[in-house]
Amino acid sequence: MSKRKRPDSNAPSDSLTDHERLIYDVIRSKQDMGIWTRDMKRELRVNLPDNIVTKSIKSLQNKSLIKEVVNIHSKGKKHLMAVEFEPSKEISGGAWYSEGSLDTEFIKVVKSQCLKQIIKLKVATLEGISDSIKRSGAFKVDLTKQQIEEIVRALVLDNQIMEVKSNGSGEFTNIPVGKVCYKNVSKGGGGGEPKTGSLASIPCGVCPQINICKPDGVISPKTCVYYTKWLDF
Amino acid sequence: MLTEYGTKHAVHVITNHFGDLVAKVCECLLRKGPLTRQNVKRYTELSDEQVKNALLVLIQQNCVQAFTTEQPDGPKANTQYVVLFDNILHRVRFAKFLTILSQEFDQQCVELVQGLLEHGRLTLKQMFDRAKSSEKEGNLVDLDSLRETLVKLVTAHYVERCPASEPLLMPISEEEGPARKKGSKSAKKIGEPETIEQQVVEAALPMEAMRFSVVTNVESDVGEKEKNSNNVTPGEKRKHDVLELDECGVADEQSVVYRANFEGFIRRLRHKGCIDHVRAHLDDGAANVLSAMLQATSSAEKKVKTKNSVPLSLSSIYEEVIKSEAGRNMTLDHVRASLVQLGELSFVDASSDSYSIDFEKIIEIAQNEEVESVVSKRYGRDAYRIFRLLSKSGRLLETDKISDTTFVEKKDAPKILYKLWKDGYLLMEKLVVTGARQSQFLLWKVNRQILWKHVLDEMFHAALNLSLRVSYELDREKELLNLPADKRTGPLQDRYNRIRKVRILLESSQMKLDDAILLFHDF
Repeated sequence: MSKRKRPDSNAPSDSLTDHERLIYDVIRSKQDMGIWTRDMKRELRVNLPDNIVTKSIKSLQNKSLIKEVVNIHSKGKKHLMAVEFEPSKEISGGAWYSEGSLDTEFIKVVKSQCLKQIIKLKVATLEGISDSIKRSGAFKVDLTKQQIEEIVRALVLDNQIMEVKSNGSGEFTNIPVGKVCYKNVSKGGGGGEPKTGSLASIPCGVCPQINICKPDGVISPKTCVYYTKWLDF
Repeated sequence: MLTEYGTKHAVHVITNHFGDLVAKVCECLLRKGPLTRQNVKRYTELSDEQVKNALLVLIQQNCVQAFTTEQPDGPKANTQYVVLFDNILHRVRFAKFLTILSQEFDQQCVELVQGLLEHGRLTLKQMFDRAKSSEKEGNLVDLDSLRETLVKLVTAHYVERCPASEPLLMPISEEEGPARKKGSKSAKKIGEPETIEQQVVEAALPMEAMRFSVVTNVESDVGEKEKNSNNVTPGEKRKHDVLELDECGVADEQSVVYRANFEGFIRRLRHKGCIDHVRAHLDDGAANVLSAMLQATSSAEKKVKTKNSVPLSLSSIYEEVIKSEAGRNMTLDHVRASLVQLGELSFVDASSDSYSIDFEKIIEIAQNEEVESVVSKRYGRDAYRIFRLLSKSGRLLETDKISDTTFVEKKDAPKILYKLWKDGYLLMEKLVVTGARQSQFLLWKVNRQILWKHVLDEMFHAALNLSLRVSYELDREKELLNLPADKRTGPLQDRYNRIRKVRILLESSQMKLDDAILLFHDF
């Protein structure tokens, strides 16, 4: 085993075995994408037996040269990365993921803050929402414009806010004509919860079996348990 | 092309109203398309007499229209019969039509139309005989007042003269194709080919002037005809009038047949639907403004599925708003503000100080909400966001992009998308990318045209189910319902209370679902 000092190396990799060196080089070359252990074995120039690979990986981890990260596309698989890199958005899922799952609490908090600011401002542009959140000091770390945009888009999909274009007058005074703005969805279904439609108000509308229900079939309106429950006064 | 449950629902309506025999003939025409009497007999295996009687009933009730086609090589082809699917659907809406009438006209008008709906078509004499047979003391019916009532209804386009009994349908050459029907009232868009049903209905319609005119035998009533006939030259018209008077109005009272004009009622229901939708989205003020705009412009509408209303200025709108009791408290600023709100939602188009209702937009939003509601209730909140994303984007999106934008877990998104696809709510495409490694991507899309047809079929299915369940429940408690009130004690009374609530819930659900069917099929 050679112990060569590498003056320009940026890792304490001076006590690596040849096998460890091979494996470490492959993993490090993948930078912030990391690599699945099985893929890594395929990329090695030599065919190493499994027990050697496992032992080397463990050793590299103990020397704090590599770490295990979660790849949200394949959570069950062991994914390795050099310690100096942060997992890319592609494998971590981005700002909204934490340890491979959506950080639902965080998302809920950001959604609620954005909605609060939009209601307060009555009509808000993305910049307006962003400034308003910053001033409120609700978050320790500043949210990026992209994060705010993603959350606002989700609020539109949730039908809690609507997207409108400024006409430059009335409530849009001070907003350039044509600029995209957001407003709270006014009454109707009570904003957020859509008003139940006619089809959705009856058992058939929400029935998962509607495609196999027939007038005289095994599943039919006469035998339907959802109807029976609905009509159970 | 009719959907499966559209056909089943229509057949069920006809069975309930006219029995199995008539329904069998109707179903044959629904499934096979227009047929001659011979072919109906062949397919249904009924006797000639039975087929004839069934067709007569269906024609009388405006559910079937006869027609002939021109043969290039000589004599006319045999008479064929085409079913009028839309008119069968209207049969469950009669109560809605009468409600509209009762809000705009007096009781005599309502009763006259009630007769027309019950009997399908009547002459003035038959209307008079019917009114006479049920007249109450102190409320005698006379022919003149009945004629006046009829004129009122015809002028308002709620009643019309019956169409030609066997119009000749001209074949459309290939070059003419859909272009021939440009501007035709039944084609949805320019270029969309008309169905045979639509072509026959149009061919059978009398000229507009004739369609909405009442023959009278009093000279002073000629003025009424002048109001109705706007495309007849004066010389012709005078000659026509003289001939009519000479031919004796009495004979016409017995020969000219009238029927309810479903188009008029559907147009009114469309307006009402738009007003209700605006009220739900905005407020009463906006609803009053829309209602006023409709009041001022509805007479200019040429067809049911009008895209936009005639443009109006702010002052014209305000004048109309303050005519109604509800609008009397509104100031000009209030009206202006409502118009701005309506404009924000694109319900009203504003350009150079004139305002025009965008019916298509209001209806599109209402339809979206109906479908999104089903998705939300059936598949959950995550699916709701996914569906709305795909519906708004209108193009193919990849699974990861969908899960990122909608904040759905990467492992959950494919399952939801697959379920929506399996149930016909989404289209799916596979994209294989070959590079260092072959990767497969799944792309998803909402195709409105296909989906709307699918949703409408589900609505027909649900309408049929509601109807079958009502019959089943009432049948089960038939004896109880026939029991006199004093014999219903203890648990019997409880069961009676239950069946009453069941009936109210099911029947009101049927009416509400029919509003949705109107939204997707007729509006």
